[in-house]
Amino acid sequence: MYKYDQIDQTLVNERVIQFQDQVERRIQGSLPEEEFRPLRLQNGLYHQRHAYMLRVAIPYGLLSSEQLRTLAQIADKYDRGYGHFTTRQNIQFNWIKLEESPAILADLAKVQMHAIQTSGNCIRNITSDAFAGVAADEYVDPRPICELLRQWSTLHPEFAFLPRKFKFAITGAKEDRTILLCHDVGIALKKNTQGNLVADIYAGGGMGRTPILGSLIKESLPWNVLPSYLTALLRVYNRFGRRDNIYKARIKILVKALGPEEFARQVEGEWATIKDGDDNFQQSEWDRVANHFTKPAYKSTQSISTTDLIDSAPQHEQAAFARWLERNVKPHQVPGYASVIFSLKPHGSVAPGDATTEQMLAIADLADQYSFGELRITHEQNLVLADVEQAKLLELWHKAKAQNVVLPNIGLLTDIIACPGGDFCSLANAKSLPIAKAIQERFDDLDYLHDLGEISLNISGCINSCGHHHVGNIGVLGVDKDGEEWYQITLGGEQGNHASIGKVIGPSFGAEQIPDVMADIIDTYVKHRTADEPFIETYRRVGVTPFKEAAYLNRSKEGSSAGVSA
Amino acid sequence: MSQNKSVLFYPKGGKPSIIANEWLVWNGDESELSKLDQKQKVLVPFSWWLANGQAHGQADTKNPDSELAKRIAAKSIGVWFAADDDILKHAEVIKAGKSIWSLVAADFPIFRDGRSFSTAALLRERFAWTGEIRAIGDVLIDQLILGARSGFDSFALRADQNTDVALKQFDLFTVTTQNSWRDRRSQLGGLQVGSYE
Repeated sequence: MYKYDQIDQTLVNERVIQFQDQVERRIQGSLPEEEFRPLRLQNGLYHQRHAYMLRVAIPYGLLSSEQLRTLAQIADKYDRGYGHFTTRQNIQFNWIKLEESPAILADLAKVQMHAIQTSGNCIRNITSDAFAGVAADEYVDPRPICELLRQWSTLHPEFAFLPRKFKFAITGAKEDRTILLCHDVGIALKKNTQGNLVADIYAGGGMGRTPILGSLIKESLPWNVLPSYLTALLRVYNRFGRRDNIYKARIKILVKALGPEEFARQVEGEWATIKDGDDNFQQSEWDRVANHFTKPAYKSTQSISTTDLIDSAPQHEQAAFARWLERNVKPHQVPGYASVIFSLKPHGSVAPGDATTEQMLAIADLADQYSFGELRITHEQNLVLADVEQAKLLELWHKAKAQNVVLPNIGLLTDIIACPGGDFCSLANAKSLPIAKAIQERFDDLDYLHDLGEISLNISGCINSCGHHHVGNIGVLGVDKDGEEWYQITLGGEQGNHASIGKVIGPSFGAEQIPDVMADIIDTYVKHRTADEPFIETYRRVGVTPFKEAAYLNRSKEGSSAGVSA
Repeated sequence: MSQNKSVLFYPKGGKPSIIANEWLVWNGDESELSKLDQKQKVLVPFSWWLANGQAHGQADTKNPDSELAKRIAAKSIGVWFAADDDILKHAEVIKAGKSIWSLVAADFPIFRDGRSFSTAALLRERFAWTGEIRAIGDVLIDQLILGARSGFDSFALRADQNTDVALKQFDLFTVTTQNSWRDRRSQLGGLQVGSYE
């Protein structure tokens, strides 16, 4: 993975000093909270219900074991012994003291990490495919571009106070694992017919109050001109994005108002004047960065069939191991290797995406022993060891069991994606974590879960949509009505190449009703599905009506007065 | 009408310092302008210039005694751009203004409105503006680095800002990872593209 050079290291060190000075001015009183707020947000520091929360970037989801140990130590030293992996490849610490935040940043800088631009109205941490560089369906390894653009966007002076936050996602695979179309800018990398690296640019996607899928505005852009093209794009947004209404300030609203063609035309006009400038990447820069993403020292070995793998386990463990292989182990580019997903979604015991100091330390050791000392963070809030020898899968499974991260529920109903919600977040209208817990407890039967197959369930505590509920096959959104917490259900969302936005089924429900409503929705699916048909396909085939009828049948509609109707 | 006593001046390739300010920012209230001394340097709203300055500018040969013509002759006039002025729509006016205005400014209606960073960048990149560009309005210490790199070289700081802290801002970063008006990215060798003109 990428290692900082002197320039990167100097920059994060100096950023720590800058932030330390800002915090000192805040504490000593010359910097009022109203003016400090955007400054701390641009360094990932939120003020939440109980304390400050610090969001640390894990750029494009890639993490070394050494970095994970530092995160574990920060959780132990400055927090309550755990961290929360987010839906955008960040980690959050929920119990931070303002005066200690510069010291945490200094600790992070020592392992080449930072919290720069993890919040605020600027270019946020760039996310990518958690299986970048190893996925069997990859066209291009997106990581060199991710890193080049990380550097380019870091402390960009012109775009530090945009109308609103700005999120990039970058993919290079056949199957999109980044929710590309729900980003302000999505960059899909590929090779053109001449074998050159080019990018398709999508703009104007987003979730939040107005979920919109991004539109293709530029095809086959040569990789090296990304800085000038993105400057043009961001400049058009910076100048003309709305600033009168925070809910209409994202680029999606501008793109929608102008129309994608007109937006693309304006970007093109701006770009024409700067496209040949020396903002553009040079081959030497590519070489320097890409050199860090060469393949690790894989052994030359044979693929092992799933049957042989299962047979290698003791008889009494075979069923459980087979299930883990099926759900939590993914194919790899290199014969004899696989990628392993550790589930941070144990049923009903911790919040989705949480990991304790002890778990982080142990997982760092496992990464060293089994995966070249590297890990990935998925936007589904799980951890990945990307380069595991198939022959060692059984051994790894045994060891990882002790950390409670081998539940074979990846991609299943209980692999719930959830924001921290009203328990922590001051933006939230409602709690998400107790809803996730109640659903996991209700659907605790692994046989049943496996029989149900792939279903994505996403929970957001408010319309900011950090739980990405719009793209969940089943989405749950917390809403506030007269100070009470209600939950609205959407169905039919999907991420990936067939990304779609879910539709609200009707009036919202009380928290206590949600597990029963889920059961009714799931029963409806089971009743209507054919053979191996996944939930989303059944939903698309039969439509919302049977699901809606089941959800509202014999159910008092207190929620209907809660006013959040379709 | 407002006038800072001093401004932070940070020429490209030079050192930042606090200097006396000679320029008054006029908000467009006609009753005030006529009362001003002809020698008083004044920044007028770009929108006002569009409505009045152009015509006067053309007329000044016919009527060299007009108030505006005198100001233009005395080099005591410049314009300030509001955050929502679309400067690219008025490229010809700005090109013509290069020989008339000895100072231009861009306004920050509130510190967290970043439009004027793009205005400054466009003035440098597109219009090759080599004269001074001043940040006015809600200009705070923590915008200085951003402004200085986007294209500004002087800052009318809000009155409550500590100028000692402000002057230190420019020493905070010795590296940069993207090009700006002031410097190339450190990966390509870094600082100092040309000197201040």
